[in-house]
Amino acid sequence: MTIFNADSFGEKVLRRFAGGTSRRGMLARIGVALVAAPAFPLLPVSRADAAKPDRSPEAKTVFARQAQTSDDTKCTYWRYCAIDGSLCTCCGGGVHSCPPGAEPSPVSWVGTCINPDDGKAYLIAYRDCCGKSFCGKCNCNGEDRETQLYTQQLNNDIIWCFGTKSMEYHCSTAVLVGAA
Amino acid sequence: MKSVAQFLFTGARLSAAIRLGSAATLAAMALATTPAQAAPGSTEPEESGVRTLEAPKASWVFIQRGFVLPGTAVYDTATGKYVAQVETPLLGDMAIDPEGKHYYVAETTWTRRLHGTRQDFISVYDASTLKLEGDIDIPGRILVGGREHNFIVSDDAKTAYVYNFSPVSTVNIVDLAKRKFVRSFELPGCADLILNPGVGLAALCSDGSMASINLAGGKTEITRTEPFFSATADPVFDNVQYDKAKGEVVMMTYTGLIYTAKLGAKPTVGTPFSIQEAAGLRKGDTKPLDVNWYPGGGQPMALHRASGHLYVLMHAGEYWTHKDGGKEIWDVDLAKHKVVKRMSVSGDPGAINVTQGASPMLTTVGEGEGEGTGAGLPGTLHVIDPATGAVMHSVPRAGSGLLQVAG
Repeated sequence: MTIFNADSFGEKVLRRFAGGTSRRGMLARIGVALVAAPAFPLLPVSRADAAKPDRSPEAKTVFARQAQTSDDTKCTYWRYCAIDGSLCTCCGGGVHSCPPGAEPSPVSWVGTCINPDDGKAYLIAYRDCCGKSFCGKCNCNGEDRETQLYTQQLNNDIIWCFGTKSMEYHCSTAVLVGAA
Repeated sequence: MKSVAQFLFTGARLSAAIRLGSAATLAAMALATTPAQAAPGSTEPEESGVRTLEAPKASWVFIQRGFVLPGTAVYDTATGKYVAQVETPLLGDMAIDPEGKHYYVAETTWTRRLHGTRQDFISVYDASTLKLEGDIDIPGRILVGGREHNFIVSDDAKTAYVYNFSPVSTVNIVDLAKRKFVRSFELPGCADLILNPGVGLAALCSDGSMASINLAGGKTEITRTEPFFSATADPVFDNVQYDKAKGEVVMMTYTGLIYTAKLGAKPTVGTPFSIQEAAGLRKGDTKPLDVNWYPGGGQPMALHRASGHLYVLMHAGEYWTHKDGGKEIWDVDLAKHKVVKRMSVSGDPGAINVTQGASPMLTTVGEGEGEGTGAGLPGTLHVIDPATGAVMHSVPRAGSGLLQVAG
């Protein structure tokens, strides 16, 4: 059984490399790389930094500019940027809890909303509460990045009571999933 | 009824005066099923009757009464008068038989009101009596309401297509002649069913393409065009306009780009034009703080097919306001790429349609006053003459849309 010899392996690689390259050739290649560098994508770290989202007022939607964090029974509450329906906070429930007798849907449409206090974007799951008749209170119709039926997960008109005992729509919650 | 029957049975022994009364009762019964009505001042004895309905007229508009009030009300745009109600439930989808003989309603219920076994079916109503002729079981359907392209009937009136989202995206095919469910197929990543003559169906897809769905001979072949729009940055409204005579579909995006696609086995999508530029304004943009005129609503546009005029609900504001009701109706001449007229409209309508006759009438409706937006309460239906912009009729508390027309 041959034992792997790292020294011997390294030596072979370097010798092969040295044999196939000249100092002038190396310089030429480094030069080409230096000139061409800006044309190639930067390292992931740099890219992430460059793609840092602009959260200035000028970059926010009309909803995000008016959003607040103090009253979750108002349509302007920051998490409701793409909600549609009755707010469960007005129907005997909470921002992430269903009213008594209703059942939260395990699946939902989603939105990405900006918290005006920290300027960060969060992923919000709009989970319908199901199994009771329409609450009808505090109706809101959020529009941020809301799309049409062929992109179902971003559409807020669909009755999202899937996987529940009943598909009767009662109200909607806005569950914070995490940072977007 | 029981007392009348007794009268007739014993009539032979009654006085002449009573016999005369019986004869009048009989006559009233005979008349009961006809539209004839006694004069309002009449004091003659009467019997109950049931009226019938004409075949769907080009001047009629069918309006869903809302998210909280079931039923689809029929109004005549020529008179502004209420005609009848087609029985539709909340979240039901109605389709008008192209031959004018039936109304079809795709609906869902549970055996114990809100729970129990789910039942999805198509109810078949006779267009003249509005009586239920029967129903056709289907495996499922999307629960959303307010859309035109989840339940459509083929131009030859023989086949219905029902979109289902369970949350798997599928389509049910129903044979209307045999009144039987035929089969279903998966339609991943696409929705909004559009008739595609000679092929089967077309649909819009989340990669920004259009699907062509070949259903000939019991097969299902789904192909897609190259992507032509962004489904997340600038989506095409579900409310696309199908033109059978031209074999085309007219589409509009949130920013106001108007596309026309030629349907077929391989649909071809034409170069879009901007509705704002067609009105001599700056093109719509997705950037915040860019105040412009944008299309909006659940049913934001309607095509008068014979004239090629597209009527669009427009509002001033920023991007991501695609559900906002209209402040104006823009009349777009599709052939000339020109907005030829701008008409102001009241009630912030989120739905618009146009009758298809030679002298079309626009109909618009917005939501009624409720607790917040999206409460689904019935609002005012306006009938507007597109030639002048004049409001011809206004019907308060008529519905909140969808608006559908015959023909």
